[in-house]
Amino acid sequence: MSDAAVEGKAAKVPGVRFYVIRNVLKDKASGGALAPGEKGGIPIEAIQAAEAEFNKMSEDYPDWVQSLIDELSDNYRRCIDTPEIRHEKVAVIHDIAHDMKGQGGTFGYPLITNFGDSLYKCTHKSEEASDNLVELIKAHVDGMKAVISGRVSGDGGEIGQELLVSLEQAVQKYSTDDAA
Amino acid sequence: MSDYDFGLFSCLVVDDSSYLRTLMSTSLRAIGVGNVKTVDDGGEGIEFLQLVQSDPMKAGMQNVDIIFSNWQMHPVDGMMLLRWVRRHKESPNRFIPFVMVTGYADREKVREARAMGATEMLAKPFSVVNLGQRLLQVVNRPRKFVHTNKYFGPDRRRNQKEIPPDKCRRKINERDVEVTHV
Repeated sequence: MSDAAVEGKAAKVPGVRFYVIRNVLKDKASGGALAPGEKGGIPIEAIQAAEAEFNKMSEDYPDWVQSLIDELSDNYRRCIDTPEIRHEKVAVIHDIAHDMKGQGGTFGYPLITNFGDSLYKCTHKSEEASDNLVELIKAHVDGMKAVISGRVSGDGGEIGQELLVSLEQAVQKYSTDDAA
Repeated sequence: MSDYDFGLFSCLVVDDSSYLRTLMSTSLRAIGVGNVKTVDDGGEGIEFLQLVQSDPMKAGMQNVDIIFSNWQMHPVDGMMLLRWVRRHKESPNRFIPFVMVTGYADREKVREARAMGATEMLAKPFSVVNLGQRLLQVVNRPRKFVHTNKYFGPDRRRNQKEIPPDKCRRKINERDVEVTHV
């Protein structure tokens, strides 16, 4: 507390108030055994155990992402069948793409992140959903299906490069001002 | 360096992806965090924080030590949850460490989250090591909180380097500052 506040002087509202917070989390984690300035770490065995759990879950990733690809396919079909609600479906696709772009790399499928990122970028204007954009969505969904059905993990080597090149060609072919 | 024991920690994980929710909670438990609660979106996060305050027995936690929240969620996203935690009068703890987990890695988005008072950012895709680093950052390097008419949150100046007077943009002097220990 400032001297002014302690002495009860005319209250001038301070421009900045700092709150210095006692580090209760450090006390909790160390049992109060660490002196101020001392830092602790995470036991290596705990990191290894967490990595083992993480890797186990990663093995199930292709099955899980397949369900998202099915959702994308379903929404793509709705874009074709019901053009009056196309913009809504493109918005859904945009959200699914956001989810996918953040996950693929975590589980050893960076190509899913690449495709998800590209799909996310090209669907950001859902209100301007053109036929070209719908074709572009299809190209992305097809590419993702190929990645997962072929279990193309890592950079995918030659197959991965071919998939990325064909995606790039599709982006160039179907990109217009409203689809870019 | 001593090893920490996070057995007494209680963390809240907020993510609308069941897969990532499970991944995050499983990893935190494996690192040693004793109590992890997961919810589907920011709205459920707010409800849970209120429940912890009103009925900790029912919530299964006495308090929440750290929040790990995804950014983009429906209907209430991570930024709205962060705003509520930092600014709402019903927030049970406006100082709670908040780790924003996000696929948005661009500088503008990072700046936006910092301006709302995020403690740390965890970019997706992440690894166990990344997660552990954020946890350690929160525990080992806590920052004081700053309250101005435009900002409330952890001090955004992590590195306490001396700023030359001609470069310093703070238009205040020591008489304008009040320090409170909590």
